[in-house]
Amino acid sequence: MTSAVTIPRHGGTGGRTAVAARARQVVKAYGSGETQVVALDHVDVDIARGQFTAIMGPSGSGKSTLMHCLAGLDTVSSGEIYLDETEITGLKDKKLTQLRRDRIGFIFQAFNLLPTLNAIENITLPMDIAGRKPDQEWLNQVVETVGLADRLKHRPTQLSGGQQQRVAVARALAARPEIIFGDEPTGNLDSRAGAEVLGFLRRSVDDLGQTIVMVTHDPVAASYADRVLYLADGRIVDEMLKPTAETVLDRMKDFDARGRTS
Amino acid sequence: MTVLKTSMRNFFAHKGRMALSAVAVLLSVAFVCGTLVFSDTMNTTFDKLFAATSSDVTVSAKGATDSGETTADNGKPPVMPASVLDKIRKVPGVKSAQGSVFSSAVTVVDAEKNSLSPSSGAPTIVGGWTANEARTMKITEGAAPKGSDQVMVDEDTADKHHLKLGDEVGVITAVGTHTAKISGIAAFQVTNPGASIFYLDTATAQKALVGEPDVYTNVNVTAAAGVDDAQLKKSVAAEIGAGYKVQTAQEAADANRKGVGSLLDVMKYAMLGFAGVAFLVGIFLIINTFSMLVAQRTREIGLMRAIGSSRKQVNRSVLAEALFLGVVGSALGVGAGIGIAVGLMQLMKMTGMNLSTDDLTVAWTTPVVGMVLGIVVTVLAAYLPARRAGKVSPMAALRDAGAPADAKAGVVRAVIGLLLTVAGGAGLYLASVADKATAGSMWLGVGVVLSLIGFVVIGPLLAGGVVRALGAVLLRAFGPVGRMAERNALRNPRRTGATGAALMIGLALVACLSVVGSSMVASATEGLDKSVGADFIIQNDKGQRVTAEAVQAIKSAPGLKRVTEYKGTQADFTPPDGKTLDGTSITAADPTYATDLRVDTVAGKLADAYRPDSMSVHEKFAEAHKIKLGSRISVAFRDGNTAQLTVRAITSSDSVVDQGAMYVSIATLEKYVPAGKVPLDQLVFATAKDGQQDTAYTALKTALHDYPQYTVRDQTDYKQELKDQIGQLLNLIYGLLALAIIVAVLGVVNTLALSVVERTREIGLMRAIGLSRRQLRRMIRMESVVIALFGALLGLGLGMGWGATAQRLLALQGLNVLQIPWPTIIGVFIGSAFVGLFAALIPAFRAGRMNILNAIGTD
Repeated sequence: MTSAVTIPRHGGTGGRTAVAARARQVVKAYGSGETQVVALDHVDVDIARGQFTAIMGPSGSGKSTLMHCLAGLDTVSSGEIYLDETEITGLKDKKLTQLRRDRIGFIFQAFNLLPTLNAIENITLPMDIAGRKPDQEWLNQVVETVGLADRLKHRPTQLSGGQQQRVAVARALAARPEIIFGDEPTGNLDSRAGAEVLGFLRRSVDDLGQTIVMVTHDPVAASYADRVLYLADGRIVDEMLKPTAETVLDRMKDFDARGRTS
Repeated sequence: MTVLKTSMRNFFAHKGRMALSAVAVLLSVAFVCGTLVFSDTMNTTFDKLFAATSSDVTVSAKGATDSGETTADNGKPPVMPASVLDKIRKVPGVKSAQGSVFSSAVTVVDAEKNSLSPSSGAPTIVGGWTANEARTMKITEGAAPKGSDQVMVDEDTADKHHLKLGDEVGVITAVGTHTAKISGIAAFQVTNPGASIFYLDTATAQKALVGEPDVYTNVNVTAAAGVDDAQLKKSVAAEIGAGYKVQTAQEAADANRKGVGSLLDVMKYAMLGFAGVAFLVGIFLIINTFSMLVAQRTREIGLMRAIGSSRKQVNRSVLAEALFLGVVGSALGVGAGIGIAVGLMQLMKMTGMNLSTDDLTVAWTTPVVGMVLGIVVTVLAAYLPARRAGKVSPMAALRDAGAPADAKAGVVRAVIGLLLTVAGGAGLYLASVADKATAGSMWLGVGVVLSLIGFVVIGPLLAGGVVRALGAVLLRAFGPVGRMAERNALRNPRRTGATGAALMIGLALVACLSVVGSSMVASATEGLDKSVGADFIIQNDKGQRVTAEAVQAIKSAPGLKRVTEYKGTQADFTPPDGKTLDGTSITAADPTYATDLRVDTVAGKLADAYRPDSMSVHEKFAEAHKIKLGSRISVAFRDGNTAQLTVRAITSSDSVVDQGAMYVSIATLEKYVPAGKVPLDQLVFATAKDGQQDTAYTALKTALHDYPQYTVRDQTDYKQELKDQIGQLLNLIYGLLALAIIVAVLGVVNTLALSVVERTREIGLMRAIGLSRRQLRRMIRMESVVIALFGALLGLGLGMGWGATAQRLLALQGLNVLQIPWPTIIGVFIGSAFVGLFAALIPAFRAGRMNILNAIGTD
């Protein structure tokens, strides 16, 4: 088993540890006894701060489950998960909700926006819920970067799919979370709109120092990341640094072939 | 067959939502059936009672009313001499005849002078114990009364007042007070609905109730074997001649039933009216439920259409679901209705009305009516949504279902709604300016119905403005949660409109009736202040007359400036136009009454009407018979002679108190009616010397201590009494309207529950990005409160409009003060907010419990 635990690095992280989130011996099992299905099997993983990490793997490999557990959306059967120095496993719903609100950003595959709120209201929603005033300068910068300045008063139904996902990205960034989780954020977009969103995520890592974890099955999407983790049968089976679409695709073909022969 | 199968599956797939609609159907049907069963049971009870108590033929003295009411103006029951009984006994076909004495013009008190009368308003009856009574009563304790110092009491009364053998009881009549000790307690063999009954032996009853020996109020005749009741009646009537009322058992029972039947009918129709309101509200709930179900299933229906279902099949599948809902709801409703009837009987028991479940009567028509009504209403209500389902295009299967787009209520709706509302408003306006009560009430009815429908139609359009206004006032304080609640309420104006409208109906009626009620109190109070000059009013609350002794006692009370006696009698009038008016009511009072009651006159002075051989008439009577001041009317007093009276005053018809009364002085009455026949006082007015009101009030109460049957009230008491009476009536009506409001609340619950389901993904998203459970629940509660307040605002506004119009219209009848009961209105408004909170309890709880990941993943 390849361990995905990286050696902590310091520098460019504003004094915080270089690991934004880590999982230790995380097990997620459904059911019990003979019918037990293990989705995550003693996973250890470190998510480096200021990096764009992609999680890949075939359907049922546990990649979404891993992300959900890291993000505090799902509970684990055993093991520990830390967000920075905070252990989130075992937190009560109230604390978890606060944690998600204040320290985590989300981008889902679809249905990211509330239809009753316009773009800017959607972007500031997490801060509104927390009762915090958004940092106006930062907000302007985010909106500017995402290129939505002229559409802020539009309702989601008046925006294209790509624009909607960009609003979702802006929302995830606006609150300056420690880490952003994306669940196939480009899964519903055509390649051009997808490239726009991914390029934007990449820039937010490079220019703004954001930490991003993204689940995807698209080698092209994964190629935007700094590091790709491969999951199979609930275990991390491989890792690739500085991926390109071709290398990712090759690695996946590899797995496929091995899967078939084994 | 497939249609039916999918309908059934859909029905069970949405059990929860269907259950709420079914409860609405159930409640309405239950109320209808409950009313029918209850009134049938009451009828059975009374029928049994009357059948048991009536002898084959009953002879009563002339002057007794149909239902056997035996109070005359002199405070004694009308009687016949013992010779009549002797004559009857000799009639062929008579097996036996029994004379009896009964009077309900009595007050019975215990040793502490506390009244033993029923609190329910049922009569207190004192009578002689005869063989006829023994048929229906069983002595359970002690023995029948014998001698002047014994009395027997019915078991129910004894239980209620904890009377034991040997306790002292006082029977107070116009004759005087008769005291006796309880010698026995007897139980009814049939259900006694609530009268208190006391038995003396016949001789004592004659003395105590009438003051004469050997007289009877009734003679109970038993037919010999083989003699028909009708035949016997004929022979008895022929023997004793005219001047008596002779009834067969059947006739007596019918007459008795007519007495209670009309009251029961009023009750029955009033309750059915409220059931109708509940049905109306239920229709909204059903329409809303099916609309939402159809909207949610758009994709599914599209798929069915795409694979070949016809419009008709889709349409029919929705109607089949409705039919099933109607059948289940109504069947349960019929059952619940019987439960309601039993509950009502228990409730009546608490107020002193005795009903036995043994008499529970469920006519075959009751379940039929309930089922048919419930099913027809449900299917009709589902028709519109079913039609909409049929119109879903197969393309809908391919489109993203998502949340339904903001349904911009159409221009057509706006135009129709506005037209109806304007027409309704015009109707109300015409009602308020009408100068004829009949035309006015017609316009009022038209106005109420049209404005209600108009409001229902434009409700969705108003929802936008009203919800925004409410949001600006209430929700802004709650920040983003409030804002989202507001947006959610505005999302589907048609749904918010329909949900609010359901609440609107009940609250509009509450507001209307409370305005009318408080205007009634205000008008009467103003009328009392303006017209009544007397400080105190003394009367018996059951219409018993005030005896001369009591009047003496009143007059002897210190601190009084004047005492005015007030008598009512009847006379045949012959005005100058020659038409004779039989049995017209006429009021005789002391001349001081002109000061005690300041009635406006249109001609002459009221004081003059109390001069010898003078009288006053009221304006309308004067107009109808072309009477002017100085006209002479021939007045034939009952039990007296004919007088020629001169009209010296014409009173205005515009008065609240004593409207339409015609006055003469007591002196004039006494001149034409022989001393023994002059009726006793109905009321006595007393006025204290200046500045001695309080002492006089106490003195009066002391003076009347020995006459517990009379109540002294000062003006404050009187107003309070009036207020309490109207308040009680209103509370009863509010209680019945609560049914409609409960159904409306179910509607709010339903709408919220469906909205929560529709917005599952949104809720998941919000929770994922950090909305806490508490905030989520608060958001749903806010939405609910806004919907409820929207309904309340519309309902209260509409209702106050109706109430104000009704007051304008009733101003013709003296209801000339409009008073809006702001505390009630504001209370109802605030209460509606709590209703909203309550309705959101379960939907909010369920939304809070949703699993975030599942919610996000929901399609």
